[in-house]
Amino acid sequence: MTGLPGQRHAATAQPPDHQAPRTVSSPPWWRGRTVRIQRQRLAYALLAPLALFIGVLTLYPTAVTTIEAFFRVDALDPNHGFIGLRNFHNAFSTPAIDESFVNTIFYTVVGTALSTVLGVWFALLLRERSRWRGLLLAIVILPWALPPVVEALLWSRIYDPSFGPLNWLLKGLHVISTNQVWIGSNRWLALALTEVVQVWQMTPLSVLLILAALQLIPRELYEAASVDGASRWYGFRYITLPLLRPGITVAMVAAITTTLNIFDQPYILTGNATATASVGLETYVVSFQNLDFGQGYALSLLVTIVTAAASLVIMRLVYRRVEF
Amino acid sequence: MSAIAVGRRRALGRGWGRRLMLAIVVLWSLFPLYWGLNTSLMSTGAADSQPLRLFPHPLYGTNYADLLSLKQSGFSGLASQLQKALLNSTIESVGSTLLTVIVAIFAAYAFARLDFRFKRTILVTTIATLLLPAYATLLPLYKIMSSWGLVNTYTGVILVNASGFIPLAIWVLYNYFVGLPRELEEAALVDGSSPLGTLFRIILPLSIPGVAAAAAITFLFSWAQFLFPLILTTDLGSQPATVTIAALYGPRLVAFSVMAAAGMLAIAIPGVLSLLLNRYIVTGLTAGSNR
Repeated sequence: MTGLPGQRHAATAQPPDHQAPRTVSSPPWWRGRTVRIQRQRLAYALLAPLALFIGVLTLYPTAVTTIEAFFRVDALDPNHGFIGLRNFHNAFSTPAIDESFVNTIFYTVVGTALSTVLGVWFALLLRERSRWRGLLLAIVILPWALPPVVEALLWSRIYDPSFGPLNWLLKGLHVISTNQVWIGSNRWLALALTEVVQVWQMTPLSVLLILAALQLIPRELYEAASVDGASRWYGFRYITLPLLRPGITVAMVAAITTTLNIFDQPYILTGNATATASVGLETYVVSFQNLDFGQGYALSLLVTIVTAAASLVIMRLVYRRVEF
Repeated sequence: MSAIAVGRRRALGRGWGRRLMLAIVVLWSLFPLYWGLNTSLMSTGAADSQPLRLFPHPLYGTNYADLLSLKQSGFSGLASQLQKALLNSTIESVGSTLLTVIVAIFAAYAFARLDFRFKRTILVTTIATLLLPAYATLLPLYKIMSSWGLVNTYTGVILVNASGFIPLAIWVLYNYFVGLPRELEEAALVDGSSPLGTLFRIILPLSIPGVAAAAAITFLFSWAQFLFPLILTTDLGSQPATVTIAALYGPRLVAFSVMAAAGMLAIAIPGVLSLLLNRYIVTGLTAGSNR
């Protein structure tokens, strides 16, 4: 999301020719100085509600989190004092929280990779304009539009050891011979299956973002390549994929932000079980069950910093400016 | 090679292979929802029996009838809890959407059409907050809302939702406004209309798809919220359906066919909204995502 002003909406992009006759030397009266000052005041008036919301309910709380992470804030302990990195130290020396770091890294790596690969694959499938594309898109975005809590509830039934269709399907395919307990037996399996539920929910957004980038690629590029006898793989590897970099970057940043902050899916599927808890879930537990807000602030700050850093790394690694 | 043949080649796969892959995509997207619907339309005995039934057989509407019934019977208040929670979700989602879209329209108009100092800085700061995770503000917002006495109120949930969704709504509307031709507004300004007048009489009537996109996306996000309502609402007075369903499902005491029916009722409104407005949602979500 760079280069903000001057961006035209894709659906309403107009040829720029109607801007041509605007090379008048002196500005018309409605762009004169008095009007400009009035409009400046108007602009600030129109932005006042935004400033209130962003200032009071976003930037100020973020600052509070950043500062309080270095203080003792405990409902059971009235001493509110500066304690440096103690909250972080305590967090890192709590086994449950250490496990939640590992879990969250697992969720993020697996979820971002899966949703990006599926996003490219689905977008390529939906690229061709056809009678059915509108309906297909409506179906594909449905998991994104629904509450993850209910989705996790529905998926928990799919994984159910006695009446779940996953066991039924895998027995039908002769992959397994007896019903398996999918969530609760093996930590890594439980983590992977929990992340599948989140991937199912967030892949539609990746599809849309990558599809939008795909539709900007001019078909002449492929015509030129096919005249030269290039294979379809060559077209994908050397035309599609490089030109998709901006779309893939946005999709991956969205996926990283979502996966690093996973909460609903493990909450529903496994409750507070340490084996699958994310850092977000531990933040909730230490703050609202252990009432140790200081440690909650420290974990919140960590998640925030890691989210921002990971997004920046992806932007550096994946993004390339594309001109057609 | 003709242009049509080249065009065909750009799509992944051809003929039946492509259709098969599309069928997999559709199955992947819909199966979990279908399975929930299937289970919700069976009695607990039929749902919890072997072999699994791929279609609801025998068809059983009592789960829905009980959950939607106004008489309290059978589920020891479960029906009234869910009904109240759905009402809370509706009020909070509509409230968050109205507040978000109104604030965003004014701000997006200022960014798109007015010149003022620090415009770029303010716009970039606003959009950058999209990257802030919920945890950056979670605990302070809880403390702010308790000190304002807004825990367990609709207002508290609506304010927190709006503060989270306003930046995205601004981004969607800003991209829409910037794409509109300026000629009509300038004609109106020459005729003596005020800038605010052009917003209401010219820009907004032309921007119905953009406003619909921002409103639909905000509504879906509000309806899906879980973490913030979980800490901001502790009783049925203001708990949305996501929190109530999580609380009902947690102890695993309610039969799954009943939970599935409750889940289907909780996704009915966002599901229908998403199917009806998906065109606007798609353009809204991808607004300005390139370059």
